[in-house]
Amino acid sequence: MSVELKSSNILSGKSFFNQHLRLFKHVDFTLIFLVTGLCILGLLVIYSTTHQENINEGVMQITRRQLIHILTGLFFCLLVTIIDYHDIVKIAIPLFFLSLIMLVYVIFFGKNVGGSRRWIQLAGFEFQPAEFAKITLIIFLADFLNKQKEEIPNFLYFSLPFFFTGILMLLIYKQPDLGTAIVFFAITLLMIFIAGISWKYIIAVFIILVSLFPIGWSFLKDYQKSRLLLFLNPEMDPLGAGYNIIQSKVAIGSGGLFGQGLFSGIQSQLKFLPAQHTDFVFAVIGEELGFMGALLLISLFILVLWKGIRIAQEAPDILGTLIATGVTSFMFIHILINVGMSMGLMPATGLPLPFISHGGTFMITNFIGIGLLLNIHLRSIFV
Amino acid sequence: MFNQKNKKISKEIIRKRLNDFFILMIICFIIITINLWYLQIIKGQEFEQRAINNCIRSLVEEAPRGEVYDHQGKLLVTNRPAVNFSIIPAEVSDYKYLVDELSLIIPIESSNIANVIQSKMLNPFQALTIKRDLEKDKIVSIEEQKYKFKGALLTVQPERKYLYQNLAAHILGYVNEISEKELKMSDFNQLAGGDIIGKSGLERYYDSYLRGDKGKKEVEVDALGREVATIKIQKPVAGYDIYLTLNSELQQFVERQMYGKRGAVIVSEPFTGKVLAMVSYPDYNPNIFTQQMSVAQWKEISENKDNVLCNRNIQSVYPPGSVFKIITAVAALEEGVVNRNSKIYCPGYYQVGDMVFKCWKESGHGNLAIVEAIANSCNVFFYTVGQKLGIDKLSYYARLMGFGEETGIDLPGEQEGLVPSSDWKKKTINQSWFPGDTVNLSIGQGFLLVTPLQIHNMLCLIANDGFYFRPYHVEKIVSQSGEIVKELKPELIKKIEVSQETFRIIKEGMKKVVESGTGHLANIEEVKVAGKTGTAQNPQGENHAWFIGFAPYDKPEICVTVLVENGGDGSAAAAPIAADIIRKYFQSKYNEMVKAEHF
Repeated sequence: MSVELKSSNILSGKSFFNQHLRLFKHVDFTLIFLVTGLCILGLLVIYSTTHQENINEGVMQITRRQLIHILTGLFFCLLVTIIDYHDIVKIAIPLFFLSLIMLVYVIFFGKNVGGSRRWIQLAGFEFQPAEFAKITLIIFLADFLNKQKEEIPNFLYFSLPFFFTGILMLLIYKQPDLGTAIVFFAITLLMIFIAGISWKYIIAVFIILVSLFPIGWSFLKDYQKSRLLLFLNPEMDPLGAGYNIIQSKVAIGSGGLFGQGLFSGIQSQLKFLPAQHTDFVFAVIGEELGFMGALLLISLFILVLWKGIRIAQEAPDILGTLIATGVTSFMFIHILINVGMSMGLMPATGLPLPFISHGGTFMITNFIGIGLLLNIHLRSIFV
Repeated sequence: MFNQKNKKISKEIIRKRLNDFFILMIICFIIITINLWYLQIIKGQEFEQRAINNCIRSLVEEAPRGEVYDHQGKLLVTNRPAVNFSIIPAEVSDYKYLVDELSLIIPIESSNIANVIQSKMLNPFQALTIKRDLEKDKIVSIEEQKYKFKGALLTVQPERKYLYQNLAAHILGYVNEISEKELKMSDFNQLAGGDIIGKSGLERYYDSYLRGDKGKKEVEVDALGREVATIKIQKPVAGYDIYLTLNSELQQFVERQMYGKRGAVIVSEPFTGKVLAMVSYPDYNPNIFTQQMSVAQWKEISENKDNVLCNRNIQSVYPPGSVFKIITAVAALEEGVVNRNSKIYCPGYYQVGDMVFKCWKESGHGNLAIVEAIANSCNVFFYTVGQKLGIDKLSYYARLMGFGEETGIDLPGEQEGLVPSSDWKKKTINQSWFPGDTVNLSIGQGFLLVTPLQIHNMLCLIANDGFYFRPYHVEKIVSQSGEIVKELKPELIKKIEVSQETFRIIKEGMKKVVESGTGHLANIEEVKVAGKTGTAQNPQGENHAWFIGFAPYDKPEICVTVLVENGGDGSAAAAPIAADIIRKYFQSKYNEMVKAEHF
């Protein structure tokens, strides 16, 4: 296969239908299968924790809503898959600015939920611009790093992405949403690392981070500080701020090897576990499905991430590699922080678990991410 | 389009870095899996228990304590419903706010509340009493402002009520929350912090009967505290009722006699050991302990210089003074130092070496035999026989008659008192026993210390010709269904090895005391009284006044011991009180007999 035959050739074919039929044949079905598995597991757990309440609201209200989120996500996934990522990247800068505008907007006009403004209401829909910004950041950074790749990695090469991300982080921190800000930072860090930044810069970043910690600490809000302190010792305030972490650990621990069974977790069914169909959904899996269930979930995640890594490695170009890297990093960070938080290994920052936690915008973001991976995978087959 | 060389280098680095990244992920997941293993497999059981504890809330329902009746079946102690302010710690989101709001209604020390919560909280989902027995207007205020007290609730619990306030306070005792120290005692091993127990008196001694069994309701609740299901209900079982030997009318009468004085009175039946009245004065109102006392209130009652909480009859020791001459007399007769007719000359003083001991009558009693010596309480007579007996014989008879050991009465905290001996003196103050010590002891002065109850027991032994019955307060213990759980019969502990002739002589002397001697103020028309006065010198101040007596002389029915602290002369301060008590007793008895004949 000659170099001339690659991607552009496929997309400039005569029959649009034929092209897409060929694409369809080469879709990464393993990835889709894994994601479907995760979604089904998520639906089961959400149904288990919410079936009681729904009697008033209408049976399976929350579960049904989650199903709609998944289907919407699939639609976006398909959309993102069929548009060549090279074309998507063309609007990377406008997308990035759109994210910025939405994030500024949400600070002033967002819907206030529990003291923070994270939601934009638009034409009957509600969504979180911060989630949208995750994807745009990945695309924007991939584009930027790809364009700069000619340069031998220099100071500018690695510091500019942090500058862009810094703006986003500042806006998100204003909402306030510390967890998401951390995700942005981690994505940027990982993408730069993968892009080949030299180790001396990586070490420099860590030194700077550690030395900046005391300054950062003073910027944190009281509840954020207490969360971090409680992470170190949750028993410090067992009924107050440490409550969530303790209840979550108790839930996971009480699951044992095989779990207490769906619909039978003490902690989840009696609502001792907070935010159990969103942020603490992993604890429900731990309690009701036990060590084996949690292991199944983790295995599914590892396979998805492994797929992500493979797609990044086999991408037709660096741009594809960087986008796939960004998506994989994004999912990994979410999984790591969410699971770690549920087990008391990380501070409670309130990040959802990909494909499992209840939530529309986040589900769609995940599917867009999968769409990007499928997209890159398709184009790499013909390299 | 691409710089091929650069791209190739980058791709290689990227491929390597991606591998590194995947290794990092795997390491993270291994850590997570190890942690899951630790939480779920190793610690799984522990966490499961914690989960179960989370959702099971046990509500304790206090059992009403048994009631207390006097010997005629008159109710003395009962329970009343009291409203307590409790919290469920897990449901209180802001303690400071709650305590601040509460302190506007009830005077509480907010620092105390935090301590209470800290020290007593076993389970954050178990109701914890913060303030017991709220007054009516406070209850209304709290109900009105219910919204301010999130996580708090008002519970109704039975509280002790002493119907006649101070009446027989020292016998009945009082109840209060179990202390840290008591929690560790084996008697209370099924109890938990915050439980109410008898703290003194009969409440304490018969606590295991009076206490009853707490009721328990275990409910499954969700995180909002809503009851989901009832798991177990166990109704509280009320404690057993107790019927006393106490004659509350007589008790009240005696208390009135002692009003304004400090001292102790015991009235009992010598041939059974039943206590009819036991008064320690000044007294207190046990009802105050059912409300939670402030520190100041507690200080006032516990550090009171008159020591109101102390039951002087069993918890205080005094020199017996001349009352002890009875022991000396018994010893002298039994040991053959004197017989009924032996006369000893009293010149008004007694000399041992170069020490001179005076008789209370400076001009002397002249020649007298033992009966007169008792009647006139002649010191010289007893100095002389005491000296002849020696310390060992004296302390032997003192112990024989029950001094220096607990009487075994059914009250807690009894003192042993002190019967000195030469060994004791050597050991404790490292001095040898002097003849002067013996002289002092023979008239009940010096090192000897006794409780009023021990003196009373000696009196009963004399009245009873040596039969010793254990003194007791409780006739029977009855369950709520009316079943008699325990019936207490007179308990003959021992028969003292003293001849009947000796008792006869002693009693004759005691009769003379009242007829014509130092105790003539106890001489009453209704019944023949025999007794003995005592005026005990004590280093703290005025002499203590003693009188012991029994009546009727020929067939004793009651024994009375009166001690008036710093009352001065026994004949003047104590004897008239005993006389009134004896008169009252026989009058009521006569009235009852008349009544019985009429109906």
